[in-house]
Amino acid sequence: MEPLLKIEKLVSHIGLFTILHDVNIEINKGEAVVILGRNGVGKTTLLKAIMGLVKSKSGTLEFENKNIIERPTYEIARKGIGYVPEDYGVFDLLSVEENIKIAISKKTTSIEDKIAYIFDLFPDLKIAYKRSASTLSGGQRQMLSISKVLVNENKLMLVDEPSKGLAPIIVERLARALREISKTTTVLLVEQNFALACAVGSRYYIIDEGRTVKNGKVQDLVKDSNLQKKYLGVT
Amino acid sequence: MTGLFYNLIEMIIKRRKVYKNLSISIGGLIFFTTLLLFVTILPHVSGFSTKVLYSRIFILAVYGMSYDILRGYTGFINLGHAIFFGSGAYIVGIFLTHFGNNLTVLALAILTVLIYSSLAALIMGKIVFKGGGVIAAAMVTMALGEIVRNVAERWREVTMGADGLPFRVPDMFRDRIMIYYYAFLFLIIMTLALRQFILSPTGRVLLAIRENEQRAIFLGFDTKKYKMIALQVAGLSAGLAGAMFALLNRFANTDLLTVQQTLNALLMTLVGGTGTLYGAIVGSAFISLTQDTLLDLRAVHPIFDRWLLFFGSIYVLVVLFMPSGFVGLYNSKMAKLQVRLVQRKK
Amino acid sequence: MDIFLMLLINGLAEGALIFLMASGLSIILGLMGVVNFSHGTLFLWGGYLFVWAYTNSNSFILGIASAVIGTFILGALLEVLFVRKTYGKVTAQILITLGLMIVFTDLVRLIWGATPLVVARPDFLAGAWRFGGAVIVHYRIFLIAVGITVAIGIQLLLTKTKIGMIIRAGVQRSDMVEALGINIKIYFTLVFTGGAALAGLGGALFAPLVGGISSGAGMSNQVLAFIVVVIGGMGSFIGSAIGSVFLGLMGALIAWYVPQLAIVANVTLMAIVLTFKPSGLFGLAVKK
Repeated sequence: MEPLLKIEKLVSHIGLFTILHDVNIEINKGEAVVILGRNGVGKTTLLKAIMGLVKSKSGTLEFENKNIIERPTYEIARKGIGYVPEDYGVFDLLSVEENIKIAISKKTTSIEDKIAYIFDLFPDLKIAYKRSASTLSGGQRQMLSISKVLVNENKLMLVDEPSKGLAPIIVERLARALREISKTTTVLLVEQNFALACAVGSRYYIIDEGRTVKNGKVQDLVKDSNLQKKYLGVT
Repeated sequence: MTGLFYNLIEMIIKRRKVYKNLSISIGGLIFFTTLLLFVTILPHVSGFSTKVLYSRIFILAVYGMSYDILRGYTGFINLGHAIFFGSGAYIVGIFLTHFGNNLTVLALAILTVLIYSSLAALIMGKIVFKGGGVIAAAMVTMALGEIVRNVAERWREVTMGADGLPFRVPDMFRDRIMIYYYAFLFLIIMTLALRQFILSPTGRVLLAIRENEQRAIFLGFDTKKYKMIALQVAGLSAGLAGAMFALLNRFANTDLLTVQQTLNALLMTLVGGTGTLYGAIVGSAFISLTQDTLLDLRAVHPIFDRWLLFFGSIYVLVVLFMPSGFVGLYNSKMAKLQVRLVQRKK
Repeated sequence: MDIFLMLLINGLAEGALIFLMASGLSIILGLMGVVNFSHGTLFLWGGYLFVWAYTNSNSFILGIASAVIGTFILGALLEVLFVRKTYGKVTAQILITLGLMIVFTDLVRLIWGATPLVVARPDFLAGAWRFGGAVIVHYRIFLIAVGITVAIGIQLLLTKTKIGMIIRAGVQRSDMVEALGINIKIYFTLVFTGGAALAGLGGALFAPLVGGISSGAGMSNQVLAFIVVVIGGMGSFIGSAIGSVFLGLMGALIAWYVPQLAIVANVTLMAIVLTFKPSGLFGLAVKK
C-alpha cells in the first residue's frame, strides 16, 4: 500500500538559509502522525515546504504518488491538502461565514452537511457566524482555521501547533476535535504540547536541527522518558 | 546547524580578504591610467563638444554619487532629488542675472545653494522619515519634487518658467578647457569627500541601516538622525553639482527639476552599480556617451529624437536584466575569479 | 451660499476624477503590494485615446469605450510583461514602473505630438445652471454621478461577490488564499487591469473637463492620486474614497480663495497626516 505522503531526503531553504537538511517521513491514509521537536528545528518549515510556501532544493516530496516538489501552492492545495498555520491564517476583514465560504472549492459536495459538521464540532462558530472574524478570541480563531480545512474533502490535513497560546481548557476541546477529525481525515500534526500530541497521534517523528532523527509509535514514546528528555526537553 | 552557519561565515570572510587585494590592484591600474589620460591628453586633443561632453560627465557623476549616498548607502529611494540639483542651478543663474556677473556674487550664490540645500534636505527629511516605508517615501518625495517644479514654472518673473533662464558667467568659467579642468577637479574633490564620508563611522552606520534597519535600531542607533545626515550630505552634493552644471551650460530651466532629472541620477546608479560610489561615475559616462551617440544618430533617422523613449527603455531593461549595474557585474566576475583561484590552490 | 454650492460641486467633481485613479492604485497596492508609478500614464493614455476616438467618430460613448478598453489592454500588457517579474521586490517595482511611465509618456508625444490636443464637452453635457453668483456646470455633475456609481459598484463587487471576497482576503494574506487552492495571481492581473481601466476612464473624463489633454497630465494627476493614497491609507478603498473627496474639496476651496497656495496645500496636508498617522487615515498595515 503506497503511502499518502512520502518525503525522502528533503532539503528546504528560506532565502539563503537551509532549514531542512534531511527529512524522511511517510504517512499512510487514515493515520494521525505527529511531528515533535524543540523550537526552531524546522517543524513549521516542513509543513510550509509540503504546501510549497517554502522552496525545496532537493529530495522527494510525493502526494498520492505524484511529485509536488516544484508545484505552486494553489495546485498543491487543490490536490486535497489543507493547511492550518501557526498564526491561524484567518482573514480578519471577512466574516466567519465568508472565511468558511472562501475555502469551499468547486469540488466540494454537500456543503450544508459539512457546515453542520463544523457547527457540531465547534458550536462557537455557529453563534459568531455572521460576525467579523476579527471579533473572535484566540481559541475561536483556531477553530475557524481548522474549519476552513474541514469544509473541503481534504485528504490530508497539516496542522501547525494548534495549542500555541491557548488556555488549557480550549486545548482540551481542540484535542477532542482533532481526534474526531482524524477518524475521517489523515492528519499531520506539529505540536510542542506533548500531552496534546500524544492524545491525537498514533505515530511520531522527531525532528532535530532540520533532520528526522527518530520515529515510532506514540505509545512507545510515552513510556520512554529518556528519549523525551533528549529530543524534546520534556521532563 | 548553527555550526554550519559559522563555517559559512568563516568561508566568506576568508575569501573576502583575497578578493579585495586582487580587485584593488587591477582596479587601481585601470583607474590611474584613465586618470592620466583625462588630465593630460583629452582636453587638448579633443574638440569643443567633446570637452563639454566630458565636463558634463564629471559634473553629473557627482550628482549621481549624491544619489547613491541615499539609494546605495541608506537604502532610500528619493524621487525628488532633482530639487537639489535644479535649485542649485537656478540659484546660481538668478544671482548672476540679478546681482551682477562677478566672482563675489558667485561666491554668495554658492553659499546660498548650500544653505538652501541644507534647509530643503531638513524639510524633506522631516516629512519623509516619519514612517510609512519605502513606498510612501517614494510617493512623497515625488510629490515634493513636483511641487518645487510647479512653483518654479509659475514664478516666471524670477525663473522665466519652462523657457529657461540664460545667463552670463564670470570670465574664468568661460574658457572650455578651464571649465573642463574645474569640472574634473570638482569630481575628484567630491569623490574624495564622499568617500571619506562613507568610510567614516557615520557612513558605516548608514551601511548597517541599508542592510537591516530594524537591527540597527535594536543596536541602539537613532536611524532617523543618520538618515537625516545622509540626506544633508546628498542634498548639498547635488546642489553643488547643480551649481557647476549651471556654470557649464550658462542656462537653467525647469527641466532640471523634473522627475526625469531625478531618474537621470537613478539611472546612473542603476547602470553603474549602486552602493559603490564609483558606479555613479561609470553610469554617468555610459549614459552621457549613449545620449551623445543617439543624438548624433538623429541625422540618420528622426526616431532617435525621442531620447526619453530610449532612456526609459534602457532603464527598464537594466532593471530587469542587470540590476546591479556594471560595477556589480565587475564585482561578481572578480568574485568568481577569486573562487577559481582559491580552488586551484587546493 | 451659492458660491459655497459651486465650490462644493467643483470640489466633488475634482475628487471624483482623482478617485478613479486613487481607488485602483490603493487596491493594487493593498492586494499585490505593488506600487505602480506608471498609473498616471494609464490616465494619460485614457485621455489621449478618448480625444482621438471622440474627435474621429463624434461619439462620446465610443470615445469613452476606446479609452477604457485601450487602457485595459495596456494595463494587461504592463502587468504580464513587467510588473509580474517584480512581485515582492519593491525597489525593482518602483524603478520599472517609473521607467515605463517615461517610455509611455514619451510614446504619447511620438504618436500625437507635443502640442496639447483640444477637445470640447459633448453637447448634451455642455450646459450650466446659474444661481445668483454661482455657475453649476453640467459636466461636473456628470463626473460626480460617475464617481458615485463607480464607488458603489466597487463596494458591491468587494462585499457581495466571491471575487470581492478573495480580493479582500488577499489584501491581508495572499499566501493563505493560495493555500486554499485559489490561484491568486489571476486575481492580481484582474485587479491590475481593472485599476488600469479605471485610470483610463479618469483620463477620458478629464479631457473634456479641462478642454484638452497634454503629456504632462499623467504625472500631475498621478501625484494627486499618490497624495490621496498616502492620506487615505494604502490598501484601503474607503480611505481612497474619503481622501479623494477631501482633497477635491480642499483644492476647490483653495483655488477660489488663495490660488497661489494650491500646490503647497496638498503637500502640507500630506505632511500633517504622515506626522500624526503614518499609515494613513484608514491605513491597513500592508504586510508585504
